[in-house]
This record gives sequence, structure tokens and C-alpha cells, in this order.
Amino acid sequence: MNIEANSGARDKHLLIAIDDTQDSKRAILYVGEFLGGFPGFKITLLSIVQEPEEDFFRSEQERVSWINDKKKEMSGLLDKYRQVLIQSGFQEDKVDVKLCIGDAKSLSDMILSFQCDIGCCTVVVGRHHKSKTEEFLFGSISSQLIHEAKNCAVWVVE
Amino acid sequence: MGKKASDKTSLYTEEELLEMVRLWVPPERVPGRVRIKDTSDFFQVDYDDVVVLGGVPYLVRNNEREGRFGIEDQQKFWVKRAIDLKTGRIKILKWTFWETFTGRIGSLVFECVRSPLKEARILNIVRGRPDFMQGETFMDAAGNPLRIMDFIHGKSLEDITLTLGASHEDYFFNHYPGLLSEFITAVEAIAFLHAHGEKHGDLRRDHLLKDNATGRYRWIDFDYNYRHRANKFSYDMFGLGNILIYITGRGDVTTHNLSHNAPDTLSGLDSDDLNIVFNYRVANLRKVYPYIPEPLNRVLLHFSAGASVYYLNTAELLADLKEAFSILK
Repeated sequence: MNIEANSGARDKHLLIAIDDTQDSKRAILYVGEFLGGFPGFKITLLSIVQEPEEDFFRSEQERVSWINDKKKEMSGLLDKYRQVLIQSGFQEDKVDVKLCIGDAKSLSDMILSFQCDIGCCTVVVGRHHKSKTEEFLFGSISSQLIHEAKNCAVWVVE
Repeated sequence: MGKKASDKTSLYTEEELLEMVRLWVPPERVPGRVRIKDTSDFFQVDYDDVVVLGGVPYLVRNNEREGRFGIEDQQKFWVKRAIDLKTGRIKILKWTFWETFTGRIGSLVFECVRSPLKEARILNIVRGRPDFMQGETFMDAAGNPLRIMDFIHGKSLEDITLTLGASHEDYFFNHYPGLLSEFITAVEAIAFLHAHGEKHGDLRRDHLLKDNATGRYRWIDFDYNYRHRANKFSYDMFGLGNILIYITGRGDVTTHNLSHNAPDTLSGLDSDDLNIVFNYRVANLRKVYPYIPEPLNRVLLHFSAGASVYYLNTAELLADLKEAFSILK
């Protein structure tokens, strides 16, 4: 396998959607181990903070404070995972991070919308091991990605 | 939100109020005196008190009650029936009762809230629609949203379903198509809500009332919310599925009932045939009532333990339901 970088070729762009679970950590470690050190790959790490409805807070101040805390937490995690990928062999300028706040009807829609915007060829997520009931009642990001993704591959890391 | 300040209580004298009360209340029920109460604390507002909101005096009657799952009816102290003393119409006054609690289904735990803000938002969105309860939001004396709802005279879908037909077969062929058509309209109403980014939050068969005035079903009680995860509306879809299974079975078809009434049928069921959440209720009803057509039963199976694909939104459910309905007609 020729692993020399081809200066004329565009990098293969992977989007790794993460949350604060161990499942996301597994996805990061998998990509790091699988592709780390190979040239021609670019990674965007994406974390989506679901914008909570006002109903769950006694005041707007409480809601804003919750969002800020969550953003800080996920920012820290994105930076940590970026370092993991760099240590796995990705060049620093090939690993971006992105933090989004939103209230879409589904998280998978937001991931795919972002994938479309940045034009990456592969979406990577860690699989949450949910019971059937939980998947039924609250949905499953990986299942929805598999069903709804167009023009890209989806890697679901077990 | 259409918030309006509550009026000063001095708009009406006690004698003026008593005159208005006499217009709408039988003589034996007219109180000796009426007291205008401050609206800031629902615990301080009792039977025969008057509260004034938006310039309108309301004579307070009983607290509303709600029963569920065999639990004895519980008084909702923050929800009071009242008479609009200007028109004589019955209203439901809903004070702010902000409550967070943990929902549990089996080992599954999720955060829930009872939110007056949510109900006030939805009342604005659905204003004028015949498929949702109607009401207005005012601010009480403490600055919290107080909702004034039109009282709906009519029975719930739960009660109506049980009164139709002499047997399930009679019900299914002579009443169910009409009921299913009405249910489809009710699902379309939820689709409207979802399109506006709002969940109902508590879709139950007793939260769908057939309004005697219009002959149409109205969804009620939108103040519950749940913290959604991957899919914002999947818990609402679960509620719709439960109602569909209920009306198709002409009530809950449970393993307990079958063990007494149809043990042979029960022995032909396996765990995949049961409701994915309530695994004592049968979802694969064609195994109990073989005349239920396949396309309709396939819709029910999306809510069974054996399902591998679930409805993610109302559009998917409506497409399949309409196809199933076209065969029934």
C-alpha cells in the first residue's frame, strides 16, 4: 500500500460525532488506531449540545447557565479527543473540532446536515448499547444515521 | 404568549358579583356571600370564591381530578372548574404548578416536567383549531401564567371505544372504520404540533375528547414535557401507537384476559407479539382477531416487541395508516 501523501489529492474527510459517553471514546480510539499515521485523512470532531426547552428551567438565567456549563464540558472533551487523534498520528492541522447548539427534531438530522455542509465522506459514531425499549422510546442516532445517510458512509463503532 | 395582567379585584362589588352568580347558578347553590380572591396561590382559592382575570370574574367550583392505571382519582388542586360570570360558560382554570419528576418505564429513567409555559405556547399555536382544546393565558397576581380553558363537553376516546359494538367483530366491521378515520385526523393534529417544533408530551386515550359541540376529537393537556434524546418526537409516537392498539382491540387485549377467555389464543402468542413497552398487552392483534387485515396489523407490529423498525415521525405513521384505512373502507 502506498502511503505517500499525494499533494494533488483531496484529503478523505471523516466526521466523528461525539457525546460524553464511553461509546464515543471507543469511536475515537478506533479511528485513531485504524487511520492514525496514514496521510490523506482529515477529521472533524463534532459535538452537539441539544438546546434544552425553556420548560425544564425556572428561569432563562438557569437555562443559559446550563448551556454554558455543557458547552464548557463538551469543549474540554473535544480538545481531549483532538489530542488523542494527534497522538495517534494525525497532523495537528488535520483535526478540527466543532461544537454546535441546536434543537432539531433528531440528532441524526443535525449530524447529517453538518456532514452535508462540510462535505465529508464518512460519518463515525460510537454505538450506544440501548435496550429495544429505550431505542423505541427515545430513538437511536446510529440506527437513524444508517437509514437516512445519503452520499456518505456511516461507521458505527461497536 | 398573549400575556395580560390580571385585574385589580376592586372591579366588582360583592353585590354585583352575587347578581351575576344568580344568573348562572341554581338558587339553592347561590352562596350567601362571595369573596374575591387573589390569584397568586391556588391553595387559597376555594369553592364559591371569585377570581378576576382579564376583566372577567370567574366563580370557582370544584378541583379537577385525574385517574390513571387504576389509581384512584387524584385531586389536582391547581386545576379548578369555574363559571365565567359574564357568559355562564364553564371554564377550566389552570394555575402554575411547576413540577419536575423522573419518569420510569421498567429500568428506563427519564426527566419530565409539568410546564405551564409549554401549555401556554401550544395554546397560542393551536388557537382556533377544532382538534385541540382552546384557551388563553393570563398572568396571575404572582406573575405566573394561568391558563383559562374552554370546558369540553364530551366523552374520551377511551370511553367511546368501549361503548361501540356488540362484539369485537361487530365493532370492527361497523364502527372501527369511522373511529380509525377520526384517529387519523387526530394524528394529523399531532403532525401539525410537531411541525411547529412542539411535543404533546402525554398522548393518552383519555386525553382525546370528542367535543359534543363539534362532533370532533380534541387533544387536551399539553403541559407535560420529557427530556428527549436522539429523536424529539419518538415518545409521542409511542403514545399514538398505544392509542391505535387500544382502539383496534376495542380496549386493551391483555395476556391476563386471554388466559381466562381464550387460552388457546394465548398459547399461540409469543413475546414478539406483545407491546414493546407494556409487555402484558397484545400488539399483534391479528393473532387474536384474524379478520384484521394485514396492512393494518403491520402498522400495529411497529409497536410490538418483535419490531425492528419504528415510526420516527407522524408522516411515516400516517402514510401506513391511510393505506390500511383505504382497505377497510
